[in-house]
Amino acid sequence: MTSVEPITEGALSAISRRNQTIVGCGVVLLAIGIGAGAIGISSDSGYAGVGPNFLPWLVSGALLLCGCFLLYEARSGGFRDMEEPLGEQAYWPGFIWMSTALMVNAALITTIGFIFSCTVCFVLAARGLRNAQHVADGGVRSWISDAVVGFLISAPVYWMFTQFLAISLPGLTQSGWI
Amino acid sequence: MDIWNQLLQGFATAGTPVNLMWAFVGCALGTAVGVLPGIGPATAVAMLLPITAKVDATASMIFFAGIYYGAMYGGSTTSILLNTPGETASMVTAMEGNKMAKSGRAGAALATSAIGSFFAGTIATVLVTLFAPVVAEFAVKLGPPEYFCLMLLALTTVSAVLGQSTVRGLTALFVGLATGLVGMDQITGFARYTGNVPELLDGIEIVLVAVGLFAVAEALHAVLFEGRVVEHENKMSRVSMTREDWRRSIPAWLRGTAIGAPFGCIPAGGTEIPTFLSYAVEKKLAKGDNLAEFGTKGAIEGVAGPEAANNATVTAALIPLLTLGIPVSNTTAILLGAFQNYGIQPGPQLFTSSAELVWALIASLYIGNVMLLVLNLPLVGLWVKLLKVPKPQLYAGILIFATVGAYGMRQSAFDLFLLYAIGVLGLVMRRFSFPTAPVVVGMILGPLAEAQLRNAMSIGEGSAMVFLQRPMSLTLLVIVVLVLIGPRIAKQLSRRNITNLT
Repeated sequence: MTSVEPITEGALSAISRRNQTIVGCGVVLLAIGIGAGAIGISSDSGYAGVGPNFLPWLVSGALLLCGCFLLYEARSGGFRDMEEPLGEQAYWPGFIWMSTALMVNAALITTIGFIFSCTVCFVLAARGLRNAQHVADGGVRSWISDAVVGFLISAPVYWMFTQFLAISLPGLTQSGWI
Repeated sequence: MDIWNQLLQGFATAGTPVNLMWAFVGCALGTAVGVLPGIGPATAVAMLLPITAKVDATASMIFFAGIYYGAMYGGSTTSILLNTPGETASMVTAMEGNKMAKSGRAGAALATSAIGSFFAGTIATVLVTLFAPVVAEFAVKLGPPEYFCLMLLALTTVSAVLGQSTVRGLTALFVGLATGLVGMDQITGFARYTGNVPELLDGIEIVLVAVGLFAVAEALHAVLFEGRVVEHENKMSRVSMTREDWRRSIPAWLRGTAIGAPFGCIPAGGTEIPTFLSYAVEKKLAKGDNLAEFGTKGAIEGVAGPEAANNATVTAALIPLLTLGIPVSNTTAILLGAFQNYGIQPGPQLFTSSAELVWALIASLYIGNVMLLVLNLPLVGLWVKLLKVPKPQLYAGILIFATVGAYGMRQSAFDLFLLYAIGVLGLVMRRFSFPTAPVVVGMILGPLAEAQLRNAMSIGEGSAMVFLQRPMSLTLLVIVVLVLIGPRIAKQLSRRNITNLT
């Protein structure tokens, strides 16, 4: 791992404030998006006085208010009553490993079947977590053991759900076993 | 007696070998997910929702209920033996339980929490048996305006009272409501926010949202931030209680149950308030040496009371779920989703239209509590071994189960990409301390509340005055307003209390 520059508290709070501003903007954008979608919804209300477009407008308006308030909080000293400590540093390579795991799984599941696709997902995700722990990982052996463990979890899960509970999961063959 | 006969009928249904097996598997699985960090009852039930397509309603509800309260037993094991509470409900248990374990009394802490859970769970089940039919009878008389106000109350409490910040809670709630908007409008059949994608006409699957927000987000959070967190496991000791332990535990269980059960009954859920309240009461009542143990060696009352309160709340929460169709927590919201998958709408009619199912479910609570006592007292050593599962394998394994849940529901690989996207959303929410329960509850309850609102307005011929003209709905609206303003005052008070307590 590359050495990490110590971050001063001021810089950290500036970063977190910037991130909080982004979150606030995201909420405002979502509100605008829902509002834009609400324009096309029928207002036919029948006897009720409120039609199918009432809740969308309400949600849009409320989210807009929440978003603005979040922005105000972010710009005036940060979100109130935060739970997460700010000092932790994110380990992004691990995030990439795990994201790849999930993406590969989604892309391959219908072609190579549930068991192998989930095994690959398991190996990649476990790799990310192993690296995140920053301990020596035993090289090739740990890759093999992850693959074996991944297979030993996904195969019985597959059999249990397809054979016992009759839930259809994709297989490599039509046999229902692999 | 009518209730008695129906309960016996329920036992007959729940006691068939197949249903007993489902109850047992549910309880065992529930204990396991309670013990394992990173996965809770809501996630587990959500992942297994696809089974509703094949397994019959009674069996699967017995199974899900087993997971639901089994997790409460398991959760306390983790919070006593590790320094991290598995879920918010066992936060208080962790405070004293961990201290007891550190001073070599892990066994006594585990015993008092398991027996206390059994005790409170059973008493609360008796309450469910006696009161749920009464509430259902009363609820038949409620009209759409009252229902809407009750749902409004549930939505407000889950978002504004629980969690640290009202604005973040409300933001989460409206994100949930927005998710619930996607699909066909219940009353007119008008398609909203579907973008002409046919799959979206039925709405977004609850499995995707729940599994994404809880399981995937949890795994992503673990890989990003928890790599270097080292957990210290406390030493186990023999699981038994001395005469003195019993003498101190029994009144605490009773008080905890008395505090917890009413909180479960009202649609203003969450276990945080009753457990903290029970802890405060126990500390206040303790004297001399017992009081000195609080916060130092760990006082057994401080484990027994909150743990009983927790289980009483969780079990009693089935009353609003079954009789009103109003969920007050993540897990009950997902249980409601499971009912909906069978085309059953929980509510006052449930006790007449699906009497067999309801009574089998209630009977299974009694059976399940006994099973859990056996699973958790003599066999606790087995569950403790689960704490040794290394994190990489644990979280990677959770992702496999997440895949089953997300893919199994609709057999669409697209859902897996969506699952990842929701996971990232959940990660952001977790990072910025947005609560996730309001999203799930809002998504499930939103469409129901909207339908009630429009029906109520139709009764009032388009005038919102209908809510103010009926005494019950007016009262509920006043409570909603109080709930919205109250937290600011309550927060100040509880903050002062907690600083006094710790």
